[in-house]
Parts: sequence; C-alpha cells; structure tokens
Amino acid sequence: MTPVSTSLAVILTFAVLAAIAAILLRDVLNAIIAFAAFSFGIAVAWILLAAPDVALTEAAVGAGITTVLFLVTIAKTVRPGGERLFERIAWRSVAIVAVLVGALLTTIRSLPAVGSSEAPVATSRITEYYLQNAYPETGVENVVTAVLAAYRGFDTLGEATVVIAAGLAVLLVLRQEAYV
Amino acid sequence: MIDLLATHYNYLMFVALVAIGLYGVTASPNLVKKVIGLNIFQVGIFLFFVTSGYVDGAVPPVVHGDVAGTYASPLPHVLILTAIVVGVSLTAVALALIVRIYDAYGTLDEEAIREVQTE
Repeated sequence: MTPVSTSLAVILTFAVLAAIAAILLRDVLNAIIAFAAFSFGIAVAWILLAAPDVALTEAAVGAGITTVLFLVTIAKTVRPGGERLFERIAWRSVAIVAVLVGALLTTIRSLPAVGSSEAPVATSRITEYYLQNAYPETGVENVVTAVLAAYRGFDTLGEATVVIAAGLAVLLVLRQEAYV
Repeated sequence: MIDLLATHYNYLMFVALVAIGLYGVTASPNLVKKVIGLNIFQVGIFLFFVTSGYVDGAVPPVVHGDVAGTYASPLPHVLILTAIVVGVSLTAVALALIVRIYDAYGTLDEEAIREVQTE
C-alpha cells in the first residue's frame, strides 16, 4: 500500500466511526458535533483523492453551513436528553440495512480497484477531452472550474435555481413572508 | 475477501456510510437525527463518485497548457460539487419544516407526533 492509500484508509475509517457516533449518540447536540467531525474527515479524504475543489466545498458547506443549520434548529426546538448516552439498537432497521448491504457487497467485486489506471472513468473519452481541451477552449487552468462554469454552465444555472427555490421555501415555511 | 479490503477499501467504506445513513433515517425516532442520516447517506454516494475518478499518483486536474502527467478525472468532481450544494439546500428546507413541526406539535419525536395526530 502506498502512503497515500494508508492515510486515506485511516481517515475514511475515522469518518465512518464519526458517522456511527452521530447516529447512535442520543443527545442531538453530541450527534451534530460528531457529524461535523465526520464532515471534516471526509473533506481530508477528498484532498487525498486529488479533489481539492470538492474538499473546499465540503469543509465550507458540509462542515460549516450544515452544522450551523443544525445548531440553529436545535436552538429553536428541543434537545432530547436523558440518562442514556447511546440510542437502543433498532433491530428492524438493522434487518433493512442488512438487505441493502448484502445487495451492494455482491457488486463490489465487479468494480475496478481503487486507483486503477484502467478504471472506466479515468480512461473515458470525456475525461480525455476535458483534460486536453479545457485550457485551450476556455483559458481556465483548473479543469473542474472550466467544466463547472463553461461546459456544464446550464447545470450550474439549474443548481443556482435550486438554491433560490430552497431559500424561498425556507422563508415561506418559517412564515417570514416579509422578506420574500 | 481480505484482498478486497486492500484494493476496494473506498468502496467498502461507501457501503458502510450508505448503511449507516439508511439506519439513521429508518431507526432514529428524532427528526433531526433522520436528517443527519440523510446527509451521511448522501456523502456515501459522493465517496463512490469521487473514488471512481481517482487514479494512483494522480494530481488535481489543474493543467498548465500541456497535459503530461496523471490527473484525476474532473467530471465526478464537478457533479459532486453540484450535489453538495443541492444537498445543503435540501437540508435547509428539511430543517425549516422540522422547526414548523415543532411549533405545531411541541415535539420532534416521531411516535409522539403520531399520537398527537390520532387524538
């Protein structure tokens, strides 16, 4: 194993443990803190997977804004406490999850190895095209930015529409019509 | 199975995150915890996508005129950037609805809300 894949395995294991803690901790504030730790772990994993743009977005949006939204929500509602630190295991849900895990695990073997240079995505013509032509055609050195803003510009416009719609929905649901 | 652990570790962690997320959505009685579960499920999918575009020794896809060298595929990164922003919008609407549910029922516990409704 290369040093990168070892540190990647460590950080992904940390993220999964934080995710388990976020679900099983009974106090919602503890769960939110565990979720923020999970988001930061995943942001580091994105850097190790050579995706710094995704890492920045994950750290700012996933660990930042989402955590603030959760904290505002529990400040406006309740924070169920109690004597127990963890939730009880719900065995009916475990059964549902076991079915999903069983189905997904049967497909794992047919996926290419992580980091394989023959992986379909890495060798696809679209990847080649973007890497070859993004700079000459758009003048942007960061290919992710070039694809986001130029080649898939309408997709990003749709994304902005979703954000506007969500913002309006939040204002309407919270009866803040004065701002609409 | 052990060799899969070495070569497909990211994909196994993807399965783990999706499983944890689904468990959170279905098992947690608290509505806020359900939204946390939804977010974890979503990040599991992101991990699958970003891993699919990674090549050993790849550098981020920032080219300086020539394209010699190994780059990670930019397309999964772009799709996931969009998905992260859409995901946080979805979370914001879900949490706003939760605040309204609390105003109406005075609880966020699924069972308690159901009892209030049947009364």
